[in-house]
Amino acid sequence: MFWHSYKYSLKALLKNRMMVFWTVAFPFILALFFNMAFARLHDFDVFEPFDIAVVNDEEYKKDEIFDTAFKTLGEGDERLFNIELSDMEHAEELLNDGKIDGYVYAKGDKKEIKIKENGTNQTVLKMAVEQVSQSAKMIDDIALSEIAKNAGQMVDISAIYQNAVKIVSETEPNIKDESHVMNMVSVEFFSLIAMACMQGAMLSCEMMNRCMPNITNRGKRVAVAPTRKGVIVSSNLLAGYTLLFISLIALIFFTRYILGVEYGDNIPLICLLAALGSLTATMLGMFLSVILKTRESAKNVIVVLVTMVGSLFAGMFGGMKLFFDELLPFVNKISPVGLITDGYYSLYYYEDLTRFWINAGTLVLISAILFVLSIKSLRRQRYDSI
Amino acid sequence: MIVSKAFWKIVLKNISSIITPTIILLLFGAISVSSTSSTSQFEAAEPSIVIFNHDENIGLTKNFIEYIDKHAEIKTDYEDDDRLKDALFYENVIAVVDIPENFHSDMTFNHNPEVKIRSSAGYSAELAKTMISRYLTTASAYAKTNISEQELISKIDAQMENSVEVSIDKAVDTSKYAKAERYFNFASYSILSCFITIICLIMSAFNRTQLRKRNLISSMDIKKMNRVLLKNCCLYSLAAWAFYFALSIFAIGADIMLTQYGLLFALNSLLFAGCATSIAYFISTFALDASAVNGVQIVIALGSSFLCGAFVPAQYLPDSVLAFAHVLPSYYYINANSKIAGLEAFDFDALLPILIEFAIVIGFSVLFIFLTNIVAKKRQKIA
Repeated sequence: MFWHSYKYSLKALLKNRMMVFWTVAFPFILALFFNMAFARLHDFDVFEPFDIAVVNDEEYKKDEIFDTAFKTLGEGDERLFNIELSDMEHAEELLNDGKIDGYVYAKGDKKEIKIKENGTNQTVLKMAVEQVSQSAKMIDDIALSEIAKNAGQMVDISAIYQNAVKIVSETEPNIKDESHVMNMVSVEFFSLIAMACMQGAMLSCEMMNRCMPNITNRGKRVAVAPTRKGVIVSSNLLAGYTLLFISLIALIFFTRYILGVEYGDNIPLICLLAALGSLTATMLGMFLSVILKTRESAKNVIVVLVTMVGSLFAGMFGGMKLFFDELLPFVNKISPVGLITDGYYSLYYYEDLTRFWINAGTLVLISAILFVLSIKSLRRQRYDSI
Repeated sequence: MIVSKAFWKIVLKNISSIITPTIILLLFGAISVSSTSSTSQFEAAEPSIVIFNHDENIGLTKNFIEYIDKHAEIKTDYEDDDRLKDALFYENVIAVVDIPENFHSDMTFNHNPEVKIRSSAGYSAELAKTMISRYLTTASAYAKTNISEQELISKIDAQMENSVEVSIDKAVDTSKYAKAERYFNFASYSILSCFITIICLIMSAFNRTQLRKRNLISSMDIKKMNRVLLKNCCLYSLAAWAFYFALSIFAIGADIMLTQYGLLFALNSLLFAGCATSIAYFISTFALDASAVNGVQIVIALGSSFLCGAFVPAQYLPDSVLAFAHVLPSYYYINANSKIAGLEAFDFDALLPILIEFAIVIGFSVLFIFLTNIVAKKRQKIA
């Protein structure tokens, strides 16, 4: 009887086109939009050389040390910028057309920069010009100090200068870069998966409504049928859970293998989190359906509200997760959307799985609480009149 | 009168469909206002850096920290490693600098101590690394000349004081209009969402086969009824647009919105509101049911907003997406917003590119009105 009821519940669910659109198709559409909009965001976040111009007039050419050192910053794979040598007029034209971020020109023995607007590229350019100008000054300074030290003695000025050039040019800072660069855009997709998961609460809500005599006519028929209520309820819930879990797995595989979203390599745990998220969503739908004695649409509004507010806190709209974590730290620790998002984030970013298991455990706990509360309310329901 | 009454009754019944995108717009407007900077003078970007100092805070170490403090924003309270990792991931912290034990003495005696850096991705991280590298290179070079720590500090300070003159070539400070640009770009979503939902729901109620047949045989002139419906749709659109404009004065500020720039933004959004009305009217001819209207609204409003740069600036969108966006009116509306925000003069030559965008949006409106007439005539014959 259980499987018979399960089969027909699943069929009935699949025939509800609007329900299938919102819980299954909509997350796929949103994932496509996300991919189109965010595809290049990470590329922009990875540093790439930017375009500048250098006014290569007679005044500029005089300073050979600066010229040589500055041009090295525009060479090779590790270059900071792409340099275009030009005259002042052309550089101005390039700047006005937005083709370069700024240009460098000589004014007397000093270098100056002209830009169109403030920004990080412009600050990097300023720093680079300062650093190169500084190198020339350092050579002078080191050489002059050396000459001063040997005051009154015969010194080889040329050798001192050569030594100073050697000191400055061969000095490398001892910096160990331990950066672990990750794609921040992935979080948008994690929160999308979490949103899709919790939106699935509508499925179990719909399935439970079909068993509630005080809400639907079908519920009245179920109440008077000889079949055990537990069988009907559990088969209906399992049908909702099955559809949700399969659609989530399809969504994860679609985003991972078609759209190229990075989730990390732990596929079993990725699927486990989807299963636990689906469980929480199913229990939430069941809970809302049992507790709220109101219209079906009102219950769906509550599901959407819980999902959307949770998604906002989880960083779906503009990556504000950290902001909300600082503002209201407990929300993402109890919100299922926050827990699922954080679970995927920890699988992707952390090597240690402690945080993942805390999130997974909290989801199981929430599911258990919602289940117990729902069952308590569902048991021994009798109606004198409906 | 009966038609108008029914029209506004349905509007009030579906008021929640207007409230949601409006609240989102208001939130977005508030966020936009909080992020502005002037472009009339050069302002160096200051990356946020966390420092873990394992050395005593004296001598060269103290000088190094003071240097970072001068060029960056030093963040504290990140002892929890998970919190720090999260901050690095979300770029709330751009770089973490580990100053090793005995840094000041090792550097002074030319042992070139190793400084560890962990950074997020991107330009700000590169800036932070360049900044730190500059200090350490200077310190290491002078350390090779065997001077005392005090001399080393004064020489580094002297070098770091050398700065390059940066001038900004801009006739007008247009940066303050960037927030209005962001607000009105986002408004394209709210306008499309509100207009499609409400107009389609109303028209689908009037176009329901049974109701339409009743109206056709009633004493009311069907052309007059259509005219009244169209008039009320326009009235609703105008009221909604006026509300969004009033909201922009509240969210962005009267000092920006009640200027020539603000009025151009308003005119652009008015033309777009007209276009959105024609799109909504066109969709309504298909007599969709209420649940289908929500689906269509989501796909059109969200789709065109994502594809045309209402949520993510157009410069970050892939070329293929932008190429496709050319067939959507939102693209020209958002383009016009961007051109208005960057406008440096109010002469014909400067305004011409904006007027062209306006004309294209009007062209889309005319196209949808034309399509509505064709589809409506066909459907009337079927009915």
